[in-house]
Amino acid sequence: MKKISLTQIKANSKGKIVEILGGANLQTKLMNMGVRSGKEFAKLSHIGLEGPVVIKTGRTILALGHSVASKIIVEPE
Amino acid sequence: MIKKIYLIGNPNVGKSVIFSRLTGVHVISSNYPGTTVEISKGYLQLDTSRIEIVDLPGTYSLEPTSNAEEVAVSLLKEHPRNEIAVINILDSTNLERNLLLTLQLIEDGYPVIVCLNMCDEASHRGVSIDAKKLESILHIPIVPTCAVTGAGIKSMIERIKEIAPARRDKLSHEERWKEIGHIVEQVQHLEHRHHSLREILEDVSVQPFTGIIMAIGIIYASFKFVRFIGEAIISKITDPIFLNLYQPILEKLTFYWQEKGFWFHLFIGDLINGKIDFKQSLGVLTTAPYIEFGMVLPYVISFYFILSLLEDVGYLPRLAILLDNILHRLGLHGYAIIPVLLGFGCNVPGILSTRVLESKRERFITSTIISIGVPCVPLQAMIFGLLGAFGGYYVGGVYLVLFCLILILGMILNRTMAGYSPEFLLEIPSYRFPPLLMLGKKLYFRVKGFLIEAVPVVLIGVLFINILLYFKLFDIVTNIFAPLIKGVFGLPKEAIVALVIGFLRKDVAVGLLMPLSLSAKQLFIAATLLAISFPCVATFIVLWKELGLKDFIKSALIMITVSIIVGGLLNFVILR
Repeated sequence: MKKISLTQIKANSKGKIVEILGGANLQTKLMNMGVRSGKEFAKLSHIGLEGPVVIKTGRTILALGHSVASKIIVEPE
Repeated sequence: MIKKIYLIGNPNVGKSVIFSRLTGVHVISSNYPGTTVEISKGYLQLDTSRIEIVDLPGTYSLEPTSNAEEVAVSLLKEHPRNEIAVINILDSTNLERNLLLTLQLIEDGYPVIVCLNMCDEASHRGVSIDAKKLESILHIPIVPTCAVTGAGIKSMIERIKEIAPARRDKLSHEERWKEIGHIVEQVQHLEHRHHSLREILEDVSVQPFTGIIMAIGIIYASFKFVRFIGEAIISKITDPIFLNLYQPILEKLTFYWQEKGFWFHLFIGDLINGKIDFKQSLGVLTTAPYIEFGMVLPYVISFYFILSLLEDVGYLPRLAILLDNILHRLGLHGYAIIPVLLGFGCNVPGILSTRVLESKRERFITSTIISIGVPCVPLQAMIFGLLGAFGGYYVGGVYLVLFCLILILGMILNRTMAGYSPEFLLEIPSYRFPPLLMLGKKLYFRVKGFLIEAVPVVLIGVLFINILLYFKLFDIVTNIFAPLIKGVFGLPKEAIVALVIGFLRKDVAVGLLMPLSLSAKQLFIAATLLAISFPCVATFIVLWKELGLKDFIKSALIMITVSIIVGGLLNFVILR
């Protein structure tokens, strides 16, 4: 299965988080909010011009800035 | 012996509502993460002892990753464990993520009671949690509650006495998540529900295209509603009271007031064509109460009604998503919209709430932008009252100037200030329809807060101004600044009095412009200048406290420079 970043996966599609790049603080922060590898998610929306990405994982809806989203590697379903 | 109880939980699970329920102390709660920026304390009478309750800012875990979380965690460690108890509040609709903090609390040996809050919301969404079973797994008291209606609070208070540390082994991140998954599987039952209208609306409001259309619609409607409600209160309630009830009493008083000297000038002010004119007389009993109650209060009520509604429904975080793009160019991220919107009510809570922003740089930019480009409700109400008479064109002009100013200033600050814009990472709450009683209460406390802050300052301020005017003490100041005011801004030199008083209160300052009979264009410049020049003294103090002396001076210098440049430019462009 090919791996792409959360910014690349199409809006309104589902996938699985594979890896989170970036510093330890960001990783902890995301993990505490329920974003961790192995988690399934649905990408709800992506605001254009490098805007935020909105995902739903578990019962949490999260908005992630473009550069955070580009550090999250996912596997499309 | 429990001496202190801490309320801890993820952001936006209703800690503040529970706090209000337990202590009777009202604190502002809203439907977005990060409403609580100050630590509130109150007391709960439990049998014979009075226990202090502390409302902590929301935190996702005991390993802090932000300032607010650090504050929460460090406060928790302040006292020995046997003297405190922890009420861990959970969002029942999101058990899995919320349990992380619960497990960490138990592992660290805190005496915990768990509050499964928003249980009504959970059942709406088809989530049911077996509290008994969860209790037997975690070995701590678990109470389902619904803080908004008050259900379950009583039984929670009764069970506080049962709080005792439970034993649990320390787990690694991996193990803990596995354990949580295991627990959730046992206690949570999900019922499949079809997409409700609410969920469709939630989705639509974050889509690029439909979201923006919805945002424009909501902002436009909010603006219209604020004006509509404000004007209705003025024309139906306050004006009739002032003109038909209060004025005849004052007129009688003037009639019997033989010697129209110092005291008359102080309390009634000048008579316009032999009559009291609430807008121009400038007396402590005439113009002062009219400004506050007849012109500003109606808009304070209508503004906070609409703002509270938007806050409690949970729309603001969605607006933050849509604006993240633009705000990024200003060195901020989308969430900065929340302090800015609060600033439209009053700059003070706006600047206080910049604490939701992570970096010092962001807080500086947002605070400076609020102080310069965001007019508070009292100022806006006066601008509407005064400039509105010349047509919406001028009023719109003030907003346009301020809006452009925010953009330009933000871009300049972003380019010139060292640092970076931190990442946008925000949990989006679901829409909730707040009970009207809660909404009413919040509105009541905000309006009451406004009256307590404003009325004494306005009365004393007008008294003070009248004394200075009577003894012509302003003349010195007026003459010193005459070249600036006349030459650069194109205003009569007396307008300096208003600009100086603007430091005290903006609404009174605009009030002082009323008797000057300025032309529409002059009024436009004066109003814009009042908006961008120094904020009032209350804002100043908060700005100082929040930014520290060095940044505060920097911010103040920016304000002075911007006012002179903009005032001069406007004069040059529209008057000449």
